[in-house]
Amino acid sequence: MRDVAFGQYYPVSSPIHRLDPRLKIVFTLLYVVTMFFVSSYTAYAVILIFLLALCGFSHIPPSAMFKSIKGIIILLILTSVLNLFFYGGETSVVWQWWIFKISPEAIDSALKLMLRLILLIMGTTMLTFTTGATELTDGIESLLKPLNLIKIPVRDLAIIMSIALRFIPILIDETDKITMAQKSRGADFDSGNIFKRAKALLPVLIPLFVGAFRKADELADALDARCYNASPKRTRMKKITFAVRDLIALIVFAALVAFVFLDKYLIGGADTYIVKLFNIIVEFFKGL
Amino acid sequence: MSTAIGLYGVSFAYDTEEEGQAYALKDVSFEIEKGSFVAVVGHNGSGKSTLARLLNGLLIPTVGRVKVFGYDTCDEDTIYEIRRRVGMVFQNPDNQMVASVVEDDIAFGPENLGVEREEIIRRVDNALASVGMSDYRKSTPFRMSGGQKQRIAIAGALALCPEVLVLDESTAMLDPKGRAEVMGVVRRLNREQGITVIHITHYMEETLDCDRVIVMDGGSVALDGTPSEVFGRGEELKRYKISPPYVTWLADALARAGLDIDRAIYTREEMEESLCRLLSKD
Repeated sequence: MRDVAFGQYYPVSSPIHRLDPRLKIVFTLLYVVTMFFVSSYTAYAVILIFLLALCGFSHIPPSAMFKSIKGIIILLILTSVLNLFFYGGETSVVWQWWIFKISPEAIDSALKLMLRLILLIMGTTMLTFTTGATELTDGIESLLKPLNLIKIPVRDLAIIMSIALRFIPILIDETDKITMAQKSRGADFDSGNIFKRAKALLPVLIPLFVGAFRKADELADALDARCYNASPKRTRMKKITFAVRDLIALIVFAALVAFVFLDKYLIGGADTYIVKLFNIIVEFFKGL
Repeated sequence: MSTAIGLYGVSFAYDTEEEGQAYALKDVSFEIEKGSFVAVVGHNGSGKSTLARLLNGLLIPTVGRVKVFGYDTCDEDTIYEIRRRVGMVFQNPDNQMVASVVEDDIAFGPENLGVEREEIIRRVDNALASVGMSDYRKSTPFRMSGGQKQRIAIAGALALCPEVLVLDESTAMLDPKGRAEVMGVVRRLNREQGITVIHITHYMEETLDCDRVIVMDGGSVALDGTPSEVFGRGEELKRYKISPPYVTWLADALARAGLDIDRAIYTREEMEESLCRLLSKD
């Protein structure tokens, strides 16, 4: 089986893995929002330290976290390069050729964008690393519960999601089998231009879809046979509970978010102070 | 012994576009005793799978009645009572699991019924122990063998605390080892927990130690009796396109060749014994 990058779960036992999944989902959403308010290198450094600490507590090797950016490396380079040359703000140009300009401001902006993207991806993968598919769906179901009031069938949606996640590896397996079967009958998937290749995939996609519908049919019977919809009061085996460790996580995360916002709006970027501090130290040593 | 499931003059027709209705089952009547182990055999298209789906109300008969512990499958008010009592295991283990973690999948049935949390945990424990998969509670079914997956599927049905277990060709996609695993579990459930088993299969060896074998042909019951009664028919079985177990076939062939041997031999031990007796006679 090919490795499925999406929803990759790191099955170890740790306090982070045991955190309330609802909390982790909310944290991740807030983290994404917060990342757009990070304004200084100091804040980026703090977030990186936070993520490394997270790795430590969740028994996930930091290298696994760093590997998660592999998928977006082209996007990363492209956006940084474009940002570097086409920075729109006021600049003190140091180097120019045709329409390309490089300035300290542009370098600053490109670097920050890159850091933002990297930390964004690494932070969000920590959610899927530490949260299993079932907990994730349970968490989403619990968070969306208020929507029941406006007659949105949240429970059914959660089951659909859980089944979808469960069938991803099965369908990938099936695709591999069909591809091999077609190859053994002389199908060619690896040569020709992009259109030719796309067309060659058709004999794979059609049996895949037919098979998927047949699976869906059988699954519907299996759901019925196991009394799906039998009782309006569906119970749950796993109870999501809010524990002390969730409270601690909440405090730590709140502190991180508070720091980012304070840094931007109150301090106005801690970098200048650090530079000033550095200068004072340098002056001090020069004076000696 | 009382009746678990009874079929009374059941016919079932599928709607087809060309010919209107096509009958998959025609006037089938039989009763299944509580606690018995019944095998249903028949070649493809004999109506076996349709029969299975009629037993727990997944399909409703076009004509006739199916009664499960006195409840009629036509009655929508009691349909879940029927499905709770008649657990069902399907052919493809992958297509009947809803969760990526074993225990969540097994808990699915009792969760649907609104069973209390503590009771669900107890049922999951018991179901896993019954199929000998307690060590796999937290693992994912994806990397398991077919036999293991099918045992998980049986555990999923057991969590409903059923009185009848219907296996709809549940061994068809398994290798011999997986088949032996599943049959071992099912036989034990029948013997130790008194669960009535209706096993639909086309492996004749699996029917040999059943209490009863029902042979389906063209949507009707062709033969119905104990394994020795059914497989003792020899040549007649060919008409229903089923092949008797190898030893039975051998006994029949020997008898036709003029040897003094019982045609209703259906285990290897019996065959050995008969052959030894024959040889010592000479």
